[in-house]
Amino acid sequence: MFDFLKQYYPVFLEGTAQTILISIIGIIIGILLGLVFVMLRLSKIKVLSYIARVYIAIVRGTPAMIQVMLIYYTLSNVLAVPQIQFLGSGLDRVIPGSIALGINSGAYTAEIFRSGIISISKGQTEAGISLGLSERTTMFSIVLPQAIRNILPALGNEFISLVKESSVLFYIGVQEVTAEALGVGGTLYNFVPPLIVAAAIYFVLTFVLSQLMQIVEKRMGRKYTQSN
Amino acid sequence: MTSENIIEVKNLKKAYADNVVLEDISFTVKKSEKVVLIGPSGGGKSTLLRCLNKLEGDYSGNVIFEGEDLNGASTDKIRTLRQKMGMVFQQFNLFPNKTVLENITFAPIKLKVATSDEAKEHAYMLLEQVGLSEKANAYPQSLSGGQQQRVAIARALAMNPEVMLFDEPTSALDPEVVGDVLSVMEKLAADGMTMIIVTHEMSFAQNVADKVLFMDKGKIADSGNPKYIFEESENMRTKSFLSKVM
Repeated sequence: MFDFLKQYYPVFLEGTAQTILISIIGIIIGILLGLVFVMLRLSKIKVLSYIARVYIAIVRGTPAMIQVMLIYYTLSNVLAVPQIQFLGSGLDRVIPGSIALGINSGAYTAEIFRSGIISISKGQTEAGISLGLSERTTMFSIVLPQAIRNILPALGNEFISLVKESSVLFYIGVQEVTAEALGVGGTLYNFVPPLIVAAAIYFVLTFVLSQLMQIVEKRMGRKYTQSN
Repeated sequence: MTSENIIEVKNLKKAYADNVVLEDISFTVKKSEKVVLIGPSGGGKSTLLRCLNKLEGDYSGNVIFEGEDLNGASTDKIRTLRQKMGMVFQQFNLFPNKTVLENITFAPIKLKVATSDEAKEHAYMLLEQVGLSEKANAYPQSLSGGQQQRVAIARALAMNPEVMLFDEPTSALDPEVVGDVLSVMEKLAADGMTMIIVTHEMSFAQNVADKVLFMDKGKIADSGNPKYIFEESENMRTKSFLSKVM
């Protein structure tokens, strides 16, 4: 059933590498946008908070596939990315595609950050500012590190979703795992075995990612209870 | 003791919408003076203390600290003034992600009032002062409440404040460790620190205070030296409060 792998494994490898690449870029952009938008969302300036709310509402309320296509077609009009081939796909598709993944993830990440920040007692902020620290220093050096520790499980979930959702980039012609599996299926006139391979690859990627997150969680948890 | 006023509160009034929580508050604190705020819960003691370093947002009136009015001061100015006012909270509020040593050295290093080495040296000295030298590398969660509060006092002292504000520092503690914290505070008082203390520990108030403010329903209902407040005052509310708590 999986004999085709002998011939097509390089295609799957390339697709896997592409999936990893777009996921990493997406996660990084997602974290950065999440941080920016949570600061806007929690800002005392109403307009900024409102902008963040609108962004989050739109991203959450529309399909990722449509967001990806909209961003791709818009960006490719304004942004002249050279059509260099990398891991089987043109960068003119990979770059807008990963940015779209990041923009999508940023909305969810912002909400996760917000849940973490509001879980930290107000006393921590008060302790910081009563020492004469600025609100910004207190937020970034005291509140946020504690918040991140609390939200690691939720962040892990978000990263895993993003790896799986990266398959939507197939619609804009990025040759990631799903696209490669469908391509192989087309030449074989049989889609089931290559799709099973694709599913297995996603499973391994997300499994490894969840293990990594657990290691990070343990490390950060151990620190707090050390007694000397 | 000089007669210089380090803090002067004039006609302070604070309200949340229509709910007035502080009204007609005026008093002065001299250098080295110990002022203790007592009174029933909800009387405005903690709110008043938190107005002094502007942890409470908007209020009317003036809080003049070393000649500068905090009310209406710029954010930067308020930050500088806060550095000179140490605050100790009921719930300690130590940073759980930092060791005891890091809790104490974080602000002085970050605010560049000391180099990393100076801050550490100072921190060890303060830890010795509060009797916790051996806990420098422990995380707060591994300490008892009394130990955490003593670290919190050391953390506030690390900025070399002119004034120390205590917001019910022993109210969240087990009875058997209250004494440890109070004795650190007594030592501090004996060293000449200017202190403003909200507390329910009446015998401590009697021993340490130069001036006692009895607060009730958002106003200073009675004030004077401990002998007056605890023994001589004919104020009905003071007498009724003291008869309940002593």
